[in-house]
Order: sequence, then structure tokens, then C-alpha cells
Amino acid sequence: MHLPHIGIWIAAFLTISSLSFLYKDNPFFRFAESLFAGVSLGYYVGIVLNQTLMPNLIAPMLEDFGQNWDLVVPGILGVLLYMRYAPKIGWVSRYALAIYVTYYIGLDFTRRLHGEVMPQLARAIQPLASLDSTTLYSLVYIVGVFSVLVYFFFSKEQGPITGRISRLGIWFLMISFGAAFGFTVMGRVALLIGRLNFLILDWIYPMIGLR
Amino acid sequence: MAGFFERIVHLDRRWIFLFVLLSVAAPIIVPIGLPVDETAPTRAAFDFIESLHDGDVVLISFDYGPSSAPENDPMAEAVMRQCALKKLRFVVCALYPLGALGLANNVVAEIEGEFPDLRYGVDYANLGYKDGAAAVMRRMGEDIAGAFPTDVKGTPLSQIPIMKGVHDLRQVKLVFTAATGLIGEWWITQVHPQVGVPVIIGPTAVSAPKYYAFINSGQIVGMLGGMKGAAEFENLLRERYPQMEKFYKTTRAFTATKGNDAQTVLHTVILLFLLLGNIAYIRHRAAAARGKA
Repeated sequence: MHLPHIGIWIAAFLTISSLSFLYKDNPFFRFAESLFAGVSLGYYVGIVLNQTLMPNLIAPMLEDFGQNWDLVVPGILGVLLYMRYAPKIGWVSRYALAIYVTYYIGLDFTRRLHGEVMPQLARAIQPLASLDSTTLYSLVYIVGVFSVLVYFFFSKEQGPITGRISRLGIWFLMISFGAAFGFTVMGRVALLIGRLNFLILDWIYPMIGLR
Repeated sequence: MAGFFERIVHLDRRWIFLFVLLSVAAPIIVPIGLPVDETAPTRAAFDFIESLHDGDVVLISFDYGPSSAPENDPMAEAVMRQCALKKLRFVVCALYPLGALGLANNVVAEIEGEFPDLRYGVDYANLGYKDGAAAVMRRMGEDIAGAFPTDVKGTPLSQIPIMKGVHDLRQVKLVFTAATGLIGEWWITQVHPQVGVPVIIGPTAVSAPKYYAFINSGQIVGMLGGMKGAAEFENLLRERYPQMEKFYKTTRAFTATKGNDAQTVLHTVILLFLLLGNIAYIRHRAAAARGKA
């Protein structure tokens, strides 16, 4: 028999503590929850320090400041963000925040336009010249897009025709929500499978000499 | 019978939890080996990797954390196995902050154990984690070493043989992202339009429905949707490379194919409870209406 090591025991204890909430709220669950939040934050700080700040900012400046002096600018911007904790000069942090926000708006704007809106629009515009399964599929696609857009058109009160179209849009939405919910159940079940798999194969089996 | 349905209406939900627990645990203890049918997105992903040539570089991005590891780990492992069997070179990176690096290291270590002939730096490399996923991707499109000056061991990229001739993402033949949340989507909506590199995504089941739109628009080559997608991919791998059959059959390690058994059993139990619950509710409501009348 090869007993599982201490790390497995701790992981098993925390897994059972977390799952114990299903029976009812209890101190073990609270402990596991708080520990998870604390460890996650500590891990995040450590990994950003070692994997991002050290190789991208601190190490290059220490090794060759002449070549990497421009890194001072993002370094200062990063420090400025923390000025919000000093009430008297908190306003300084807004400059760094403004640069961050504008950068990500610029990035996201092109991403949304080139990566989502244009390709999806191009896909929605399909020739209907031939009668085959692809054409039928394209028709369903176009009717779905159009009816859902009508449903979300709030600038004008819906009349008898637009009301019917938007009702069709609701059906399309409900079907997509159903599919999404089904996938969500599958995803959550997968997580439970992962945890039980760990408890059975990595913790219980070695204890009873099966592994 | 009426008593049974009355009890169902007032059933303590913890009994349902117990049923769920038993339905998941049983197939793990006694694997059933239920069949797994491949879907078109998984087949397309597999075939695309098969169409690559010896020595082509594949970027495998770990964009998930431990919370979705049961779904994403088998995908990353299976894609890496296919790369190793196809003699493709692969470069690993991690863009998800909470635990992706640790998971990447674990999966790489597992594949190293399975394929002892693989040489670090020549056949594969691990670039480690970088914060700020969207900005990192933008930089990698222009200069990978600009985003990752060193690999996970601290070796400058210029000194790693596999990175010779791989300056930016244009020299990469495929990006595979095992993803939870938005990071996987950014490979499709940001990197693909920017540099044109083909993308295959392995999302969690929760995110999978939205990626069908990207498949239809041709923005991704294929998809491994959740644990089911991973199981399909493992199946394809076993069919194409019979030597993997032994691994997937004999290993006590977790595979998506085994998880698929538990998924199927539990889905059946959930459907039964849905059916019973609805019948009990309808009968209860009808009885209440009769009582009022």
C-alpha cells in the first residue's frame, strides 16, 4: 500500500469541505472558501511579480538601462495607479487609468469590428441561388438574425407585423438559451467529475492499495 | 403511486445531490466505455493538425485555470500528443492568471514522460505566463520575444533552437487555445484578423455555444467543445494512432473518454428527475385545483 502524500490529503480535505455546503453551510466550507480567496490573491501577486514585472520591467532595466530606459514610463504609470490610496494625491492615478482605458478601447474597438461584426455580417449575407441544405441553413440563419434584431429594436412601438417577427425572435432566443443551459449543465458536471475523479483515483484508491 | 409523486414534490433536494454523487462516482469506479460519436468541429480540428507538416510550429496557449481543468486538461494533453506523434514542434504559453502556468507545467511534464524522445528547446518549449492577455497577443503578432523575452526557465528566446525562424505569430502554423472565459475568444477576434494564423479553440462547455458562430464564419478551423469535445478528440487520436489505444485503455489517469461515461449516466439521471419532477408538479397542481373546486 502506498499512502497518498500530504498534498493529496489537504486537497481531499478542501474538496470535501467545499462540497459540504451542499448539505448545509458550515465552518469547514467557510474555511475552504476564505483560504481559496486568500491563496488565489497571493498566487496572483507572486506570479505577476515573477513572470511579468521581473522579466519585462525590472531585469531589463537592471541589465542595460541605456537600452531599456523607456521602460521607466510604463513603470511610473503602474506606480501611479496606486496613488489612489493616498487621498491627497489620489487624482494622479487618473492619468494612468486614462491611458489604460484609452488603450483598451482602441484595442477592443478594432477587435469587435474586424473580429466579430464584419465577419459575422459577411457570413449572414449568403447567395440564395441554389436550393440545397446550405441554402436552407442560410435562410434559417438570416431569419434568426433578422427576427432577433427586430426584438431588440426599441426605438419604435411594435405593430402587428413587427410584433409577430419579434415573437419569432423570442423563439430563436429561447432555443439558444436552452442550448446554452444544456452546455452549462455539461460543463458543471465535468467539474464534479474532475473532483470525484481526484477523490476516488488519487485519494481513496491509494489508501486501500488499489494504486 | 399518488403517494410517490406527492413525496417527489416535497423531496429534500439533498437526496437529488446524493443521486448525482452516486451517478458520477459509479462510472469512475467501474468504467462503462460508452461510445463517443465525433462532431464536425472536432473532426475539423483533428484533420487540420493532421494536415500540418513535420517541423511545423504549433502554439498551445493555456488560457484556463484549475476551476475548468477537468474539461481543458484532456484537450491540451490530446493536442500535445498529436503534435508529438505528428513530429510537429510546439510552443506552450499561459495567459490566464490563476493557475494556467502550473497547469501548463503539469501537462508538459506528463507529455515529457509519455514521449521521452522529445527534446526541450528543439521539439518544444514552454514560454511561461504573461499578464495582460490582449496586449500580450498584440505583441506576439509583431514579436514573440517582445512579449516573452525568456522562456519559463529564464533562457532568452534567442538561445532556444525552436524559436529560430519564429519571430512572430506569422511563422506559427496553428494556435490552439484551451480556454475558459474571454481569452480564447481574443485569439479568434484579435489575433486571427491581425496575422491570419489559423485558430482551434478548446473552450469549456459553458462557452462552447458562442463559438459555433465563429465556425460558421470560418474564423476558426475547429473546436473541442467541453469534455465531450475532448473525448471525441481522444477517440480520433486512438483511431489514427493505434499505439494511443493502450494508453487510453490502461492508464489510471483521468481522460475525457472516462469522464464521458459519467456525463452520460448523470445526464440520464437528470432527465429522469426532470420528467418525474414535472409529472409530480402537474399532478400536484391538478389535485390542488380539484380541491379548490
